[in-house]
Amino acid sequence: MAEENPGKALEIIKEFANIGAGSAATALGTMLDVDLMNDVTSCNIMPLSQVPEWLGGAEKIVAGTYTQLCGSLKSGILVVLPSESAIMLLKHLTKEQVDLSNLNELQRSCLKEVGNICLCWYLIAVSKMVDIDMIPAPPDATVDLLGAVLDMPLAALGTKVDTVLAVHTCFKALDKEFEGYFLMLPEDQTLKVILDRMESKR
Amino acid sequence: MKEPCVVGIGQLAVCHSPEQLSCLGLGSCVAVILYDPQTRVGGMVHVLLPKAPQKVDMEAKYADTGTRKLVKEMTLNGAVKDRMVAKLVGGAQMFKNLNVQFANIGRFNVLEVRKTLREFPIKIVAEDTEGDRGRSALLDSATGHVTVKKVFSPTRVM
Repeated sequence: MAEENPGKALEIIKEFANIGAGSAATALGTMLDVDLMNDVTSCNIMPLSQVPEWLGGAEKIVAGTYTQLCGSLKSGILVVLPSESAIMLLKHLTKEQVDLSNLNELQRSCLKEVGNICLCWYLIAVSKMVDIDMIPAPPDATVDLLGAVLDMPLAALGTKVDTVLAVHTCFKALDKEFEGYFLMLPEDQTLKVILDRMESKR
Repeated sequence: MKEPCVVGIGQLAVCHSPEQLSCLGLGSCVAVILYDPQTRVGGMVHVLLPKAPQKVDMEAKYADTGTRKLVKEMTLNGAVKDRMVAKLVGGAQMFKNLNVQFANIGRFNVLEVRKTLREFPIKIVAEDTEGDRGRSALLDSATGHVTVKKVFSPTRVM
């Protein structure tokens, strides 16, 4: 289906990601006690080499939490926070001074946990919608160049394809300077399953 | 001076002095950099995965085929194989605690590049590889120097 009508497939996958991201943003907002707004989801099919550029440049410093689905569906999912937002989040949650170049154990773990909660809420919402269980591996977090953070998910996809579908949903706080985005990089097979299921629900 | 040409994932480029090439945000990816000091021809390939499958669609994506293609392209641009030296950057393990299939792909990338370079053989004169930090590499083909930048660490020239 993705080949027959790419425009329609992109619309469907956008709707799918919107619901996931909405649920994740609500969870994150509750935890941080801020009102989070989701921006419109954008998704795009592009060559591997263009993904970092599409997300704002390979040399941006970000905090990334990454996990992979390990059930029947395969996809990489990331929560990416720009460095200022990561500092704000960690300050808020740990009440300590934050030095991104030298995170302590608690802060690192905190970053992972926030990512974990977001990713799980994302998955709960979407798995309900397509009625398939999605099981994430325990995530890991790092603060580094965006290009470097993206390498692993891209390597996982790169074994099979040269072009990927990336689904990207921004979230923003209404009153504070806080933003970030969710990124989903589904494998081809997974994409087909999602599209089929979504189609049959209409 | 002209902006350095950015080599993206699975891309390959060759340049002549005084042009510059760069790879931005290398995580588990490896930048293989070859340089011929006499003709001052430099080349860079940004590889994502270690071993190419039987049927290759994009040679520069894999460590083995990418390295071979780079040597070929360098030769076509006037470099001589026996004079070439290699420098490697990248191959980090970004997510140390993740227990998935590709968790340590960076290391395999580096090993595969070393193995392929031995076929020619081309000597590796400098490396900034593995660890858990992302890097950016910049090749200055006028001098052959490679500048490696890491987040939160001093810049290294090799």
